[in-house]
Amino acid sequence: MSAATSTKLAVHVRAVTKTFGTGEAAVPALKGVDFDARQGELLMIVGPSGCGKTTLLSVIAGTLNFDGGEIDVFGSPLHAMKPRHITEFRKRHVGFIFQQFNLIPTLSCIENVSVPLLINGVSRRVAEQKAAAMLDQMGLPGRGHERPTNLSGGQQQRVAIARALVHEPRLVICDEPTSALDKDTGGHIMDLLCAVARHPERSVIVVTHDNRIFKYADRLTEMEDGRVQRVHGQGGNHDLIE
Amino acid sequence: MYHLALKMLLGDRAKYAMLVGGLTFATMLMTQQSAVFFGLLKWTTSHLSNMRAKIWVVDRNVQQANELKALRDTDVNRVRSVTGVAWAMPIYVTIQSAKLADGNFKPIMLVGLDNTTLVGRPPIMLRGQLEDVRLPNSIILDELGIQRLSVGRAKPLGLGDTFELNDKEARIVGICRADRHFFGYPYAYSTYTQALQFAPKQRKMLSLVLAEPAPGWTAEAAAKQIQLETGMKAYTEDELFWSTIRWYFRNTGIPVAFVSIIVLGFIVGTTISGQTFYAFVHENLRHLGALKAMGASNGLLARMLLVQSFTVGFLGYGIGVLLVTLFGQVVLARGDPPFMLPWQLPAATFAIVMGICAFSALLGIVKVWKVEPAIVFRG
Ligand SMILES: Nc1ncnc2c1ncn2[C@@H]1O[C@H](COP(=O)(O)OP(=O)(O)O)[C@@H](O)[C@H]1O
Ligand SMILES: [Mg+2]
Repeated sequence: MSAATSTKLAVHVRAVTKTFGTGEAAVPALKGVDFDARQGELLMIVGPSGCGKTTLLSVIAGTLNFDGGEIDVFGSPLHAMKPRHITEFRKRHVGFIFQQFNLIPTLSCIENVSVPLLINGVSRRVAEQKAAAMLDQMGLPGRGHERPTNLSGGQQQRVAIARALVHEPRLVICDEPTSALDKDTGGHIMDLLCAVARHPERSVIVVTHDNRIFKYADRLTEMEDGRVQRVHGQGGNHDLIE
Repeated sequence: MYHLALKMLLGDRAKYAMLVGGLTFATMLMTQQSAVFFGLLKWTTSHLSNMRAKIWVVDRNVQQANELKALRDTDVNRVRSVTGVAWAMPIYVTIQSAKLADGNFKPIMLVGLDNTTLVGRPPIMLRGQLEDVRLPNSIILDELGIQRLSVGRAKPLGLGDTFELNDKEARIVGICRADRHFFGYPYAYSTYTQALQFAPKQRKMLSLVLAEPAPGWTAEAAAKQIQLETGMKAYTEDELFWSTIRWYFRNTGIPVAFVSIIVLGFIVGTTISGQTFYAFVHENLRHLGALKAMGASNGLLARMLLVQSFTVGFLGYGIGVLLVTLFGQVVLARGDPPFMLPWQLPAATFAIVMGICAFSALLGIVKVWKVEPAIVFRG
């Protein structure tokens, strides 16, 4: 548990429901989820495959509409916002890290990392300078002009983290960030993400079913069948973390 | 973001080449075929380039250069008396048959020029003296005529040789170069009086009057004045050119063929470009979805696709027009098939190619707009 962990709320989710499809094909993925993430913490969402982790992450990030309930992210009430404003919200405040890295293979690492800044209207020169600096910080100095496909999986995920952080978002969203990596590499990536979370006005949410990395969490939210089952960690049960 | 959009497209060599190639092909197909049609149409105006005058006075019902209605002989003087006319000269144009050595006949376009001034004379003399056309029974024949009428002879026709024109002997005193007529007839020039003798006697023999505006008069103003004072139709060179082309456009199957080619080019271009671009967008949907998740608006993504699509459009169009122009230069240098490339043709092709690009981009845009940004979390 870090001293930097504050109790100020970053994400506040109440009674959120989401059903995919209609009629007989309807799949209720979220069945009334209550969930909080605090500023300055790395929060994990864990649970068996298909329990709704990715769906929850998607609605929090504003990439997926939900049916009912309320979501408040750093003061933005997603349930009450127009799609245009939600797009704006993602652009400013959310950094994304994906399981498959999702780097654009035809662009250099610097160009990939500069994308969020360019989307935010930063000039190309400044964006590429900041991207290069961020790659240095991620331990990839001098690799900026290479194509991501020339790098190892761990290095690619570092590029992806650089991309997620370059525009200094308050919410960083990671879906299975280590499941395409081996144990040691995954550990290094988690060390990086922990450092990222040590920021008083930021929150890092990591979805995973990789129990080797549970120990990196400040708190751990356990999901089952579309609901939050337990919260471990500060003020909760420590079994899973320790 | 636009430079990255371009880099993404350039990074996919195969599709990039396919897109540029497809649009180049469509551009070439449309521009080149249209140029050939326009070239054909230009052949309908060969009288203009072979006689050359600023003002053409014809019967009031004449709409095009190849359908002349005879005027009265006195009409030349009526044109001469119009204020604004510097001079006016008669021309007699007639199609007569020339007899070949093997006994067959070939039609030729015989042009009778004013005896003194020889106004309407051939554009380029290759051999012989123009003035010799005033000698009795003399004729100046163009290259095509020499070629056609030499059939069946041991040696091609040359200066001093004779052939039978409408049962009368004609002596070749000059060889000229002239533009080809739409109907494929060779041009032959003689004096006005000589032409009247070659042709069977008719009541009215004057075909048209060539005129020059007086100093201080534009051709347009003088032509208007001629119409006003004589009741005949007077065209400037330019007016008769376009009037002739319009006439063939309206009264022949050329426009249908023309439109089919445009449609074909459009279909080919749209199929190749639309399909390839769609495939490109489809393959990059994951990345485009990631951009969308990161906050790229639909507008930004649409503009990125437009930049990609129009870039290949400009490239394909540029290469296509360049190749067609080169082709045209070769063809024109050889003087062979019809070819004419007025600026309106590449301009129209440009508009069509840009339309194709807009359409292709639109296909992609619709697809990208439908993408849920959440797909980036799905495996
Ligand atoms: N786009 C979708 N359409 C239909 N069903 C979906 C869709 N996405 C997820 N689901 C279903 O919703 C449930 C939760 O999925 P997900 O959130 O991906 O779970 P997890 O990430 O925990 O494995 C699963 O049953 C899944 O099949
Ligand atoms: Mg998942």
